[in-house]
Amino acid sequence: MSDETKVDLELDLKGLLCPLPMVKVSQNINNVPVGGIIRAVATDPGAMADIPAWAQSTGNEVVSADKQGSEFVFLVKRVK
Amino acid sequence: MEKVQLETLTGVIDKKMNRQLKQYIDICARCAICKDACHQYVGTGDFKYLPARRAELIRQIYKRYFDKAGRFMPALYEAREPDDNLLDELYDSTYACTGCRRCMYYCPFSIDTAWILSVAKAILIAAGRGNEMLGQLADAAIFKGDNAAMFEGVMLSGFDDISEEVRAITGDPEHRVHVNKEGADVLYVALAGAHSIRPAAVIFEEAGENWTISMFEAANYGFFYGDTEKARLITKRYIDEAKRLGVKEIVVPECGHAYRVAEFFYEAWSKEPMPFKVTHILEKVDDYIKSGRITVDKGLIEGKVTYHDPCQLGRNGGKFEQPRDIVKAVTDNFVDLTPNRAEQWCCGGGGGIVAMEEFKDVRLKSGAKKVEQLKASGASVLACPCENCRLQIEELNEVHELGMEIWQVIDLVVAAMPLPGNQKGAEATE
Repeated sequence: MSDETKVDLELDLKGLLCPLPMVKVSQNINNVPVGGIIRAVATDPGAMADIPAWAQSTGNEVVSADKQGSEFVFLVKRVK
Repeated sequence: MEKVQLETLTGVIDKKMNRQLKQYIDICARCAICKDACHQYVGTGDFKYLPARRAELIRQIYKRYFDKAGRFMPALYEAREPDDNLLDELYDSTYACTGCRRCMYYCPFSIDTAWILSVAKAILIAAGRGNEMLGQLADAAIFKGDNAAMFEGVMLSGFDDISEEVRAITGDPEHRVHVNKEGADVLYVALAGAHSIRPAAVIFEEAGENWTISMFEAANYGFFYGDTEKARLITKRYIDEAKRLGVKEIVVPECGHAYRVAEFFYEAWSKEPMPFKVTHILEKVDDYIKSGRITVDKGLIEGKVTYHDPCQLGRNGGKFEQPRDIVKAVTDNFVDLTPNRAEQWCCGGGGGIVAMEEFKDVRLKSGAKKVEQLKASGASVLACPCENCRLQIEELNEVHELGMEIWQVIDLVVAAMPLPGNQKGAEATE
């Protein structure tokens, strides 16, 4: 996804331990419109499995999941 | 309520209400001794959180369909249909309950309200009113189990990073997180976060344990959600891995409900005997310290230290002394909370409530007794071997400006080990 992707909601999940990053994304997914994007930044490596698993099992989409230094950056799209 | 849905709900009740539960419902004298035992009722004063009241809702539904008097004269015998009002009330009183079972401890008849509420959860799930967040967390865990290969790469990369951190602490270039190691004696079933793996890896490696982890975490939101099939599937992920790897022992992490699920529930859910020993990590660590397999230095932890018994590990799991012995091994400045052990107050964070935003207000109010205890202890450090408890107490610490440090017990142990990569430990070894 390009750098110009419109982000509807930024979530700072740094310092939160798993599964809280996944919980926070889930709690906030309805705060963006269908097709909207949440950009979430976590520091717990467990989020790299948790958030994609949550997205797959709830029918949402992880557009990208990148490790940037000690941070894990997710773009999560609300699908329904 | 439509006939089909009603039949489904009454079918659930009929299946779940065994002899013991029927007896609980029959013998409750409504003496309300439980009101003074429940941290939520004490903290909020709200009638719906009174334990006997929570169980009363199930009794009212049960009487409406399974009791002769309740069937024919429901108004006279306080029998109610599970209409929207009742189900709303049931949802609040059930999912807010942390399952601490302090009410049971003080009940003259030992009525297990948490068990009665497992029927309530089954009813709510059958009615399509199970807690959505807990259901999602459970489904995500099951998805990870069914699609393990999808996550293997990122997880292995994460384990490599943790291995580096372990080596930086112990100073031993051979130390690492062992993953899916066949022939290991111990499978450590960690939580998903690095914080649960790193200190355990340091301790296992220093103790010379033949250990491994797998891809699957111990947390079980299917258990909190109230769906025993989901809970079984989540647990089965690591039980199957333990069988495949041929381990002799499963070690569960600092997580209250994970210990109970593995030690007390899985055999009943799966209808098969557990082929290996289940041990809590603090039992292992206590043994390592007492047998001299790891060394801890009492001078390295500063301040007065206290200990919180997580309800699932303490009152409901029977593990009171090993954690205390560990804390006393790392400090001469230990003070217990009052009351403690089986009478310990619930912190208010159990049962998955920390993940349910709608209960935040009642959760924080229900921590009042814990705040009182912490203040009275005069301690500046709290050791607490449960993730949900720590999340709750960290929030109470912030809201009430207690100024305490909240630690995992194994973090406290690692901090007290004279290791080259541990700053205080390095000073001690000079």
